[in-house]
Amino acid sequence: MAARTHDQWTSQPPLKQGEWIDSRVYTDDKIFEEELEKIFKSAWVPVCHESELPKAYDFRTMTIAREPIIVCRGPDNQVRAFLNVCPHRGMMIERRPSGSFFEGQPSGNPKRMTCMFHAWQFDMKGSCVYVSREKEGYQDRLGKDDVGLRRLRCEVKFGGFIWVNLNDKAPDLESWAGKPFECLRKSLDAEPLEVFHYHKAIINTNYKLWHDTNCEFYHDFMHYHNRVTGFNESYFARKNEAFDNGHIVVGTYEVDYDKYEGFESRAALSFPHLPPNQWYMIDLFPGINFNLRGSALRCDVVTPLGPNKTMIEFRGLGLKSDSKADRMTRINHHNSIWGPFGRNLHEDLIGVQGQGNTMLPGTEPRRVLHGRQENQTIHDENGMRHYYAEWGKWLNRLPSSPDKPYSAPASVTAAE
Amino acid sequence: MPTCETVRDAIYKATMLLDDQKWNDWLSLCDDEFEYSITSWSPEINYNMTYLEAHKEDLRHLIDLLPKHNTDHSPLHRHTTVYSISPSEDGKTATAISSVIIYQNMLDGAHSHIDAGESRLFVIGRYFDTLKIEDGKVSFLKRELKLDNRRLDKGSHWPL
Repeated sequence: MAARTHDQWTSQPPLKQGEWIDSRVYTDDKIFEEELEKIFKSAWVPVCHESELPKAYDFRTMTIAREPIIVCRGPDNQVRAFLNVCPHRGMMIERRPSGSFFEGQPSGNPKRMTCMFHAWQFDMKGSCVYVSREKEGYQDRLGKDDVGLRRLRCEVKFGGFIWVNLNDKAPDLESWAGKPFECLRKSLDAEPLEVFHYHKAIINTNYKLWHDTNCEFYHDFMHYHNRVTGFNESYFARKNEAFDNGHIVVGTYEVDYDKYEGFESRAALSFPHLPPNQWYMIDLFPGINFNLRGSALRCDVVTPLGPNKTMIEFRGLGLKSDSKADRMTRINHHNSIWGPFGRNLHEDLIGVQGQGNTMLPGTEPRRVLHGRQENQTIHDENGMRHYYAEWGKWLNRLPSSPDKPYSAPASVTAAE
Repeated sequence: MPTCETVRDAIYKATMLLDDQKWNDWLSLCDDEFEYSITSWSPEINYNMTYLEAHKEDLRHLIDLLPKHNTDHSPLHRHTTVYSISPSEDGKTATAISSVIIYQNMLDGAHSHIDAGESRLFVIGRYFDTLKIEDGKVSFLKRELKLDNRRLDKGSHWPL
């Protein structure tokens, strides 16, 4: 067909329900606010890794759905999470991204979380242990027992990641993500891991567009050079397997790095229990990716900042027991494809930035096609269809017509 | 001191060649044993990170592949200031520390209608260089670009 008129351009594509979505799911302010409230405030998020706070009194801070969070390790070695908010007048208790409470701060004592504003102090379990001028100000009307921190659901799991959920009533993490992690559970839990790479990107695009890219490999046409030098039939035969809660797993195959121009075999440094040069990928709803390419693990976590603004944090991990030389080799393997100066990541980010450019808030609603059917292999778009079916349920919105309530696309669901 | 002047000139020449994307000419300033790295300290993970590590041959390969990759073509411009030069006692090598600020002149990396023509701060850091001095000629043995940034947005395919 030749280039289309506006009516043709906006007409329904010759595909079934569930095989396209309306671009307003990426651009609408109201939908974005609903996503924060209904999805991100009830989903498990791997906010950091246990190796980032190795000692008692170490802490890390972050946000989920704009809510400030602090994670700290107690003297009992337990990792706990709290809202990083003083119960007095709402000051952010800790402003640094990381550090230790072992040493005192100008307003507070060692081994305490201290709000610098009025010097209220909390222990590593979130209990209030000091209120300045407590008796003078509150007499016996309010005491320390009334003003503990807001504790958050927190689990250390799946390779030592620290997961937080803002919803006290959410299902436990094992129920949420245990099944997709089965493929890597032994490899990730065999011995302690350590983060060796961290960087962030803030891109003018919707967070789901980044996750979409992680849910299909059809976009390998963008990684043209890799595609023509390193990919073979078994690469393209991998399956996208759908799991409950909107998660998917991209099945493994043995990567032939020798044919992958500019790369070397990763067999000698394979993660425990992982056959040489295998490659698994786990995509968790609503925007988390775990990617194990033989010798290096990558984890992406999205923090949506607006309909058209997303922060992505990238971590790379190896084994804590690595020798210096092995660690450097792992880092180079990681960086060659996934580093900020590597081959693929730059292209992936240009891609989703380009989508963000055409889907600014207020742009016309358009059809975004998710209708490729290739036997659920990596050129199929079943991973995205599975994701948006889950998204529709959480928001009670039909992804192809988000003003309407969600209804399951029966024919597409059956095909997953 | 003539050595210091020669070293300073080499660092500024390297800056201009990188700005002009004359990658192979830049590599010609480097010894066969040249080691290049981009690093950064992360307080988030409490770790000295390496974002890129390459020898001269790796860089040559990287440069050869540039036309085969989809790249943000927004030019990068370096403002380099040489802070200190320390010749070795035997006069055969020197180390140098330079401050570097890299700007990105937007072209096609974001929304070209809106952003093209605007210059943005891309990264800041320091070059830690080791140079070989032989018969009055200087070549780079090692360059570590130590970045302050951990927010790198789209990153780059290009040597910095």
